[in-house]
Amino acid sequence: MSEINEYFKIALRNLKTRSLRSWLTILGIVIGIFLVISLLSLSEGIKKAINQQLETMGGDMIMVMPGSEENLMGMMMGGEVLEREDIMAIEKTKGVENVLIMSYRGIVVRYKEEAKMVFLTGLPWDQGLEILEKFQGWSLSEGRWPVPGKREVIVGKQWIIDIFKEKVRVDEEIVMKGRKFKVIGILNSLGNKSDDSNIYLDIGLYQDLTGEKRGSARVAMVKIEEGLSADKVAQDLKESLQKTRKRRFGEDTADFAVVTSEKIMGITNNVLGIIQSAIIFFASIAILVGGIGITNTMFTSIRERTREIGVMKAIGAKNSTVLTIFLIEAGIIGLVGGAGGIILGIICAKIIELYSQANPLFYFSVSVSPGLILFGLTFSLFVGCFAGFLPARQAARLKPVEALRRYE
Amino acid sequence: MSGPIIKLENIWKIYQLGKVELPALRGVDLEIAPGGFVSIMGPSGSGKSTLLNMIGALDFPTKGKVYLKGKDISLFSEDELSQLRGRTIGFVFQEFNILPNLTALENVMLPMVFQGVLSEERKKRAEELLISVGLKDRIFHQPAELSAGERQRVAIARAFANDPEMVIADEPTGNLDSITGKKIMEILTDFHQKQGKTIVVVTHDPNIANYSEKIVNIKDGQIIINDKQSAEVL
Repeated sequence: MSEINEYFKIALRNLKTRSLRSWLTILGIVIGIFLVISLLSLSEGIKKAINQQLETMGGDMIMVMPGSEENLMGMMMGGEVLEREDIMAIEKTKGVENVLIMSYRGIVVRYKEEAKMVFLTGLPWDQGLEILEKFQGWSLSEGRWPVPGKREVIVGKQWIIDIFKEKVRVDEEIVMKGRKFKVIGILNSLGNKSDDSNIYLDIGLYQDLTGEKRGSARVAMVKIEEGLSADKVAQDLKESLQKTRKRRFGEDTADFAVVTSEKIMGITNNVLGIIQSAIIFFASIAILVGGIGITNTMFTSIRERTREIGVMKAIGAKNSTVLTIFLIEAGIIGLVGGAGGIILGIICAKIIELYSQANPLFYFSVSVSPGLILFGLTFSLFVGCFAGFLPARQAARLKPVEALRRYE
Repeated sequence: MSGPIIKLENIWKIYQLGKVELPALRGVDLEIAPGGFVSIMGPSGSGKSTLLNMIGALDFPTKGKVYLKGKDISLFSEDELSQLRGRTIGFVFQEFNILPNLTALENVMLPMVFQGVLSEERKKRAEELLISVGLKDRIFHQPAELSAGERQRVAIARAFANDPEMVIADEPTGNLDSITGKKIMEILTDFHQKQGKTIVVVTHDPNIANYSEKIVNIKDGQIIINDKQSAEVL
């Protein structure tokens, strides 16, 4: 074992002697691993946030939105709405027990001297409260539920933490689009910071405030009767909605996304899976380039040190000894690059996370698991050793007499 | 020990330069007995470096047999030969060839690392060797901090690290001034006389050859005279 320590010492000294070249080579790996760690931890964080949100929906809920299921993001952020007739069709569909309509958009809220962009959600307190309380687990930590039609809002838990510099309290007033609203209740945490950062208003007032059409909604959350298949009800809902549109406008192409919570989870996981694959692919290219950098550096180093290798072999070094020394060098480059990449990646991801926390519209937490760090380190070590193997083998196979003769 | 440390038997070494064959050694027979001090002399291109490679078991002949301590080296694997060479033969080179990134002590310990000598033991021996070559105050110095003569002393200490039976020195004074060169030869002679080590020195300097007990002359790849007086002939 003590020999390995000596080999480490030799390898480290060699790297130190050519420190600029070593650091530049390490940089190649740093960039690759940095990309992998930062992007994967971000996408994993986004995935977790979405799944967490979907889990709060419950298993026997169906979400109905206008637009194509194929384009989930466009659908969520797009301008299309469910008309009053669409909502009525949903309510009449067999198997539907209760419907909660919702609209949402970003809005600037002023509180005392501060203004912040937050998500405003419009809800019918009279119809929706049961679904919210029973199936979504909403409860108030302070105050009471708003009275429909009154300028009263409830806010998420985050409002008493850090949305504004000064904590918002029950009975305080906030201003949206020049109109005053009274904070009447504060919700217990809904399980994710994004929802906890929202502000909730009666849908009628929401539509007055935003100018959205009365009776319409961005999304309808449907609670189905117990014992029924969510997929079957979803299919019926879709048909019923399409019939309504056709009757009214003669449209054949009207598209509705009628998705169960499981399906949404599947779609988002698929989308994020594709994104993650793309990230891994591009980061792999960066790491490959870094690996080629290591190979190049090692070949150059071996060329410069041919005589040294010859001396080592003359004084008793075995092929495996020379191979080990050079593999250690390449491994150190890979490992240090990996560690640097991980540190930078985490820092970068955390900066983005902090930014997102300062801006409640895009809240999510990065997810840096020990597994990801271990993967980064192992992978970078492997890349280093793999990239250094050919040069190291070449060094190991040098004949002592040839190595000593060269560059004489 | 009775048999020779190294025995060369009808050694031919032919280098292939493109289509041209260049014989560097032509049917050389030589034995190096234990405890001797031998100089190999010859003009440039005579084949003395090639002969040295054969004696040092650094290279294989094109034809003929090399016996290291009675064993045919062609039967060894590269690793086995490296290990055996590391134990039996020490090398001192004209260019010193000590590793630039290691201290004097670490350089001397290196051959012992390759032989698996325990850490404390190798440190103790390396220190003793460095003291014996007069480098007590330079033990922890890097080669760049040492003079040429000091570097060569480190190389000599390294050559004796594994207590080898034979040390081969290739032009050990070639890059040194005459006073330093003399000191280096005195150190080698000292090892030979006090510890009974076999020394083989390759040189073209008759003054250096004068330290030896036997002179082997080589010309055009052949040993022409093999006795003490041959220095005068060349």
